[in-house]
Amino acid sequence: MRKRHLVVGAVVLALVAVACGSGATGTKTQSSGGVKEGGVFRLGTSSGIDSLNPFVAFQQDAYAAFEYIYPTLVQYDAHLNFVGDFATSWEYSADGKTWTFHTRPNAKWSDGQPLTAADVAWNINTILKYQKGATANAAGYVSHITSAEATDPNTLVVNYDAAVANVLSQFQQFFVIPEHIWSQHLGHGGADLKTFDNAAPVVSGGPFILKSFQKGQTALFEQNPSYYGPKPHIQGFGLQFFTNDDAMITALKSGELDGVETVPPTNVKTLQDAGFVVKSVPGVEFHDLIINSNPKKTTNVELLDPNVKKAFEYAIDRNKIVSVARLGFAQPGDSIVPPATGIWHDPNLKPIPFDLNAANQLLDQAGFAKGSDGIRVAHGHPMAYTVIFAHDEAGPGDRAFQIIQADFQQIGVKLTQRALDDSAAFDAITAPGTTGYLNFDLAMWDWVPLIDPDFILSVVTCGQYGGWSDSGYCNAQYDQWYKEQSTLTKQSDRVALVYQMQDQIYNDRPYIVLNYDDQIEAHTKNWTGFVYSPQGSFNPLSKATMTEIHQV
Amino acid sequence: MSINLSTPTAAAEVPDIRRTRGGFLWQVIKDRPSAAVGAGILLLFIAISLLAPYIEPFGLRTQVGPVFCRPSAKHLLGCDDGGIDMVSLLIQGGRISLAVGFAATLVAVIIGGGVGILAGYFGGATDIVLMRITDYFLVIPDVPLMIILAALLGPSVRNIILVIGILLWTQPARIIRAQVKSVRERVYVKRARSLGASNTRIILKHVLPQIAPLLIANTVITIAIAIFDETALDFLGLGDPSAISWGTILEHAFVRTAISSGAWWAVIPEGVCVTVVIMGCYLLGQAVEDALNPRLKVAHLSVRRFRMRPLGALGAALGGARP
Amino acid sequence: MRGADYVLKRAAFALITVFAAITLNFVMFRALPGDAVTNLSRVPKATPELKHALLIQFGLDKPKWEQYLIYLKQLTHANLGVSFDNSQPVLKNLKTDLANTIPMVTLGTVFSIVFGILTGILSAWRRGTLLDQVSTNTAVAFYSMPTQWLALMLIILMATRYHFPTQGISDPFLLNPTPWAHIKDVLRHMFLPSLTLGLTLYGEYTLVVRSAMLETLGEDYILTARAKGLPPSQIVRKHALRNAMLPIATLIALSLGYIVAGTVLIEYVFSWPGIGRAVVEAVHNRDYPMLQGAFLILTVSVVFFNFVADLLYFKLDPRVTE
Repeated sequence: MRKRHLVVGAVVLALVAVACGSGATGTKTQSSGGVKEGGVFRLGTSSGIDSLNPFVAFQQDAYAAFEYIYPTLVQYDAHLNFVGDFATSWEYSADGKTWTFHTRPNAKWSDGQPLTAADVAWNINTILKYQKGATANAAGYVSHITSAEATDPNTLVVNYDAAVANVLSQFQQFFVIPEHIWSQHLGHGGADLKTFDNAAPVVSGGPFILKSFQKGQTALFEQNPSYYGPKPHIQGFGLQFFTNDDAMITALKSGELDGVETVPPTNVKTLQDAGFVVKSVPGVEFHDLIINSNPKKTTNVELLDPNVKKAFEYAIDRNKIVSVARLGFAQPGDSIVPPATGIWHDPNLKPIPFDLNAANQLLDQAGFAKGSDGIRVAHGHPMAYTVIFAHDEAGPGDRAFQIIQADFQQIGVKLTQRALDDSAAFDAITAPGTTGYLNFDLAMWDWVPLIDPDFILSVVTCGQYGGWSDSGYCNAQYDQWYKEQSTLTKQSDRVALVYQMQDQIYNDRPYIVLNYDDQIEAHTKNWTGFVYSPQGSFNPLSKATMTEIHQV
Repeated sequence: MSINLSTPTAAAEVPDIRRTRGGFLWQVIKDRPSAAVGAGILLLFIAISLLAPYIEPFGLRTQVGPVFCRPSAKHLLGCDDGGIDMVSLLIQGGRISLAVGFAATLVAVIIGGGVGILAGYFGGATDIVLMRITDYFLVIPDVPLMIILAALLGPSVRNIILVIGILLWTQPARIIRAQVKSVRERVYVKRARSLGASNTRIILKHVLPQIAPLLIANTVITIAIAIFDETALDFLGLGDPSAISWGTILEHAFVRTAISSGAWWAVIPEGVCVTVVIMGCYLLGQAVEDALNPRLKVAHLSVRRFRMRPLGALGAALGGARP
Repeated sequence: MRGADYVLKRAAFALITVFAAITLNFVMFRALPGDAVTNLSRVPKATPELKHALLIQFGLDKPKWEQYLIYLKQLTHANLGVSFDNSQPVLKNLKTDLANTIPMVTLGTVFSIVFGILTGILSAWRRGTLLDQVSTNTAVAFYSMPTQWLALMLIILMATRYHFPTQGISDPFLLNPTPWAHIKDVLRHMFLPSLTLGLTLYGEYTLVVRSAMLETLGEDYILTARAKGLPPSQIVRKHALRNAMLPIATLIALSLGYIVAGTVLIEYVFSWPGIGRAVVEAVHNRDYPMLQGAFLILTVSVVFFNFVADLLYFKLDPRVTE
């Protein structure tokens, strides 16, 4: 997903740095003695919450907020396993078409109304009913579901029309909203579901109640006494939204915040020197050089030549990019399924090294001789390309571009940077129209994959033309594999196919993955108990962090 | 809807300066110290920009130290977020900042001048239509319009010049229109017309020379506004990121959190450069206007339209001041 | 009656301009590359239905001329449409944004007027001296500084040392404050942004006041007053300043019209949730209704205050002829 429109990370709590080795579930706090209760944790973020309505919201922090105020059937634990949240156990039929979830008995919403399996069923059925209209942005989570019902207050039965491999991953992202509130907003053919502002204080079912919200400024969460799960140590927490990182870090340093969600690499040293706890964890976000791979491309067709693409990759100095653009807080890239996703990344996939000679050799062999100005000529035109540069990438991306540009100069390819804001960038990539993918040559952008690889593998399918595709890649065989992997309920089978798919993409090079950013966050020494993940500790994957943190 | 505050009496006061045309600017500079300072500043920065490739101590893409390295004997202003020498960047930055300033002003003056002359000279329907178009540009909020235009055209140096030029042409247009209107009524122009001289000839031979000095003053101030606008566009991320200008230097530093990293040397110098250049334009422009309207009794009432800053008003306001 | 003629003519022009602005803006926004639908339909597992649903919801499936007519019709009912971004009424969003911008801008303007008048008087009274030079040139210097840079300078110099907050309009963690504590908190947050605005604008008032006063101070009756030994403050207040009132009033009226739009840079640096920031976000999101609404309000404000300035000038200065 694009950084700005990050929707629900099914990112695993890969406690890469911390707890996994110890075998225990990371920084769990002792339930007896030594844990200071109370306090309000103040977190700064440069993301935001665009809306409190789950059918409207697109920003990352909105989803993290929903994670803490709404129940989900399951959540991730520290070891990438699914554990129950509102559901205590589950089973599925032999043909995989019927799933049964057992939910917590005697649960309540924050306004005292009962929270039962019927709420979940209502959620599923309502989304299904309006999936062509108001609930269209949640339709993906209920794909292949035909109906759902609560056979009793604590039992939910979900019926599918086919076996689906990632049911639990889907339900991990599925926020259950209270039927008794939302069923009053079904007017205008369901359109009211989107216009309902769900203003704070929000009737909540999770460990916290969203007490107050001012768009663009703050969101305050207070402990929910009716929560069915473990009681948090803190009285509440607050999010403060910043439009720029500089102001956020300044606020942390001057004591207005207790922690920040992301730390730019340029601030790590100053924060460490000032006595803050700075934590860096390999993340899932990666930056890429996109090569237009639309097989129907008619201009600059040399870009479709696998050897040209390979030459390009030889000419990219990933280590230098990591060091200059990210000050070392990143890992060199290879597959589109990042290592931080754990089992889904193919460990045998090794990228080709930085080698200008090899690059020059490949291009010489292709017959693209260098002109008098040093730029190679291919099919009668110079190898000079415009790189569409998404505004998201500004800052570190500019440095990365300059490094690539200088190295490409050495292999006789000229690159020009064309910076556009996100809407214009996408428009330029898909031109002509929204599904053409004929005009652009190269682009630089980023992705934030989920842990479950389904999403990132889908962006290079033919079906995502005009949707998520920013490369124009279209391969019928790959699309077959994609469909197949979504039905393989046996994990080892699915893993094998996923490895095969990412290898194919690596070799076809619609993307040259530059690097995977580390997720860096910071907080004052007075707090502890954070559960880190490739998407930070405040994330839409589990309710652990805010439930477990406490003052020292 | 326009403020014609500067038109009524101000126009009548334009002195007949046909004779002094060539040496006018020089005269002003000789007479007034502020003009000399202003002109001096501008010339200095222009010279530095022209000589840039020869005087830059280090390469513009060469990493000479760690990110945000501190000022030292070798690197007087330290490094930016790419480890590149700040002094070199500043010297280079002037090139695009000044070039955009001049080019955008040229665009503005050509469009504005053309519109102003046509509207002022021909009057009637032409005048009304052109003035309504001018009004649209006057009432639309600047910075938002700038943002839209930049998003529409895409960020390249050429487009930035266009965008700023489109924003700024109304000022010269209105001034020129006012002056042209008054000059048109002058006796010798009337005589020329009655003798059958063509409109073009009249405009070129009689009208233009009269309005030239005021145009010069306004142009210099427009340059200041153009440079200001360019840094604003860059800061909002709408500039060309591969161009090195004082505005993009500031933007890069900001995005890469120079301030919270304590790297003040990456933030302060480029702003000082911009301020000094704008002040220089300002002092020169204001002195020229001052010289043109020594007896402008109601000058302080000639409150001009507020652009991003009411630079124009400052100039007009000073028209009646005694040195 | 000439007066009424003038007013009516100006009012008519104002309305025409606003209408033209509305139409041109409508066209301009839709010319921007990309649109809200492609932005918002890029959700994991997006279905073609989502895009279609959004198109219909935003009314973008209709031909442009029809969208234009619908927009005009809504305007006559004072309905500014619904934001594409958060599905809330544009008027509601803008009200909050304006409520945040206006106090900050007011404080900044007050600062610039007060400081400008004081320095203007000082410069005029001590005309020609070093004090005059320093005061005037300092005013011009601040006026020449790029707004965003001055804001950053103030942050560097004042934020940590004097504990002035550098973002937002209030401390979100100040729970249940007393009214006084809340006001204090908001003022503390407003200080740096307003100071930035004030510093960048005061120069204009300085110069206007200075020149207006210089005109009057040279008059004979002032000389007489001084010869009589009247205290300077009385002279300044009773006579010289009066002459400056008209240009100051006109300046204020003009500034007010544009100032709201000019705060984009300040709001961007200080994360101030006002209308400037809203515009930047709306452009980014291609949120046409928000853009149309914001531009409409800003344009109307400019037109209105220009109209006021025109009237002031017409009424107060007998020397103006049509």
